[in-house]
Amino acid sequence: MAQKILLIEDDRQTATYIVKGLGEEGMTVDHADNGRDGLFHATDGGYDAIILDRMLPGMDGMAVLGALRAGGIHTPVLMLSALGAVDDRVAGLTAGSDDYLTKPFAFAELLARLKLMLRRGGSGTQAVTKLACGDLDMDLLSRKVKRGARAIDLQPREFRLLEYLLRHKEQVVTRTMLLEGVWDYHFDPGTNVIDVHVSRLRRKIDDGEEVPLIHTVRGAGYRLGLEG
Amino acid sequence: MRIPAFLRSSTTRFFALVFVLQLISSTALLLYVRHIIADELERTSRTLVTELHDDLVADYKQEGLPGLRTLISERLTGIRARDAAVLLDDPNGNQLAGNIADWPPPIPFDSGWQVATLYRMGRDKPEPMGLIASKLPDGTHLLVGHVIEGDLRVRRLTGEAMAAALLLAVPLALLGAIVATRVITGRVERIAETARRVGMGDLSLRVPHEAGMRDAFSDLAASINLMLGRIEALVGELRVVTDSLAHDLRSPLTRLSATIERAMRETDDEAALGALERVGFEAETLLGMLSTALQISRAEAGIGRDRFVDTDLGQMIEDLAEVYGPLAEERGFTLSAEGGGRAVVHRELVGQALANLVDNAMKYGRPDGTIRLSVHRADDLVTLAVDDDGPGIAEDRRAEALRRFGRLDPARSAGGAGLGLALAAAVARLHGGAITLGDNAPGLSVRLELPVAGD
Repeated sequence: MAQKILLIEDDRQTATYIVKGLGEEGMTVDHADNGRDGLFHATDGGYDAIILDRMLPGMDGMAVLGALRAGGIHTPVLMLSALGAVDDRVAGLTAGSDDYLTKPFAFAELLARLKLMLRRGGSGTQAVTKLACGDLDMDLLSRKVKRGARAIDLQPREFRLLEYLLRHKEQVVTRTMLLEGVWDYHFDPGTNVIDVHVSRLRRKIDDGEEVPLIHTVRGAGYRLGLEG
Repeated sequence: MRIPAFLRSSTTRFFALVFVLQLISSTALLLYVRHIIADELERTSRTLVTELHDDLVADYKQEGLPGLRTLISERLTGIRARDAAVLLDDPNGNQLAGNIADWPPPIPFDSGWQVATLYRMGRDKPEPMGLIASKLPDGTHLLVGHVIEGDLRVRRLTGEAMAAALLLAVPLALLGAIVATRVITGRVERIAETARRVGMGDLSLRVPHEAGMRDAFSDLAASINLMLGRIEALVGELRVVTDSLAHDLRSPLTRLSATIERAMRETDDEAALGALERVGFEAETLLGMLSTALQISRAEAGIGRDRFVDTDLGQMIEDLAEVYGPLAEERGFTLSAEGGGRAVVHRELVGQALANLVDNAMKYGRPDGTIRLSVHRADDLVTLAVDDDGPGIAEDRRAEALRRFGRLDPARSAGGAGLGLALAAAVARLHGGAITLGDNAPGLSVRLELPVAGD
């Protein structure tokens, strides 16, 4: 079944662009162009996720979010904001949004974060002690990583990086998502800082193996999975 | 010979000027008073002499020579004649009457008021006196005088009093100079303090002054305030232009990115993909620049002070060293983090600022060099430093380096837009601190000095 997304966004261009892009990904998108309609739709239909612009006519995005959460609706919300500063990110996250993206954003970034949210919403938050992908195994308790029979020795941060990739396997993760997820920093690392980390990890995981697990997704980021 | 600095200072000069002027005016006043007194004394003596002389001449006209001789004797024996001096000579120079023995040679037979020192008969020492001489119709000579020794004593006394008054005038002038200098320095200091704080970034500050007063200081304050207003308006306008430019550029850039992404999904042509990826990278760089420019504007405007959180800065630089470590290693740098300390800061912005500085150090540092991150917490100041051992920045170009889009060497276009240092500076100012570029001998030492409230 196609996933249902509600987009609350007043800027027609951005809305068209998102609706079209998500449609191409096989999702169903409903679009509301103001906060009031958006809130009405959100409380009414069973959406899998909501993309909510922060600055809206009628009712501000933060107010919509507040009303939703107060009404006991826990549909994951991805906030969009044109304000473009980390402060808004923090404000959005404290107000109860699940993720935050500042405009302008790359569509790949939006898609990756949206998919991550959808997956998280589905799987719940049960505690796991083992993660795996193909013949790659990670034991979170003993902190050991093995590829087939080969034990892989990882630095603590490499371990966390791989853990993040494994928790989001078969999904595209962007560089900023990695910086946020692994190091808990929300800033633009500038040069290819994250690339170097990934390529080091990739050497340890994939070198000499027939099936590579860490893939570069052009124009987006990385994906850990069996398919190339 | 070099004049010592404190003597060349305008405060010292002003002080000296007030002091000297006060002394000159006191001296002038005292001299004038002395002159008036002397004048008055002389006028009194002169009147006395003239009156006596006129009396004698009038008597002579009425009663002739014998009457005059009698009158002179009378006058010289009276109580009022204590200071009188008279001499009546016949044409041959023989004394006919009076208490002076001989006609003094320097006095002409017919002269106006003059002063001479003469012996009176019966006195053992000469006395200074004012004199008038005249020739009577029968050829006799009359000399009338008045001893002015008392006058001279009064003069001497006023002289002494003046010296004493002058001695008193010196400390008074000194006090006056101190007070005047204090007042002036205080008012100038108030203006300077305002200017200093405006220079630190508080553009809304104005010099306090009373609008109604029409004195030089109020005029100066008003002019400076006018200038500050203009600066604030210009900076504001510039900010609006930069901000709206950044905002306006984001929509087309977003569309550009979207188009590139879509094109990448629709083609399998390796060459096209490569080209699109490069274009995409450039678009991303542009977006990054815009975001940074906006971040700077917001920080400069003081937005984000409500997001300050207690942060372990030692942990932060260790994290940064770790994030950048592999990249640094790949480029041949040694990256280290030293020191620790907690402070209430804007965690994200400080992180971004430090990341930019590390990025810069890797761009402009010496290959195979060392980059040192450090935190030092003093009582109320946290110093975050990023030091490299590259070529550094010449002292006269450091201000330029801190400007937005102020990249020093256009040839070194190693990515970035020269916003790194500008952002770091803006972040420092957001925290009420400052950024300094120093010499790491060799290399550049960038220090963010953030004041923190004492625990």
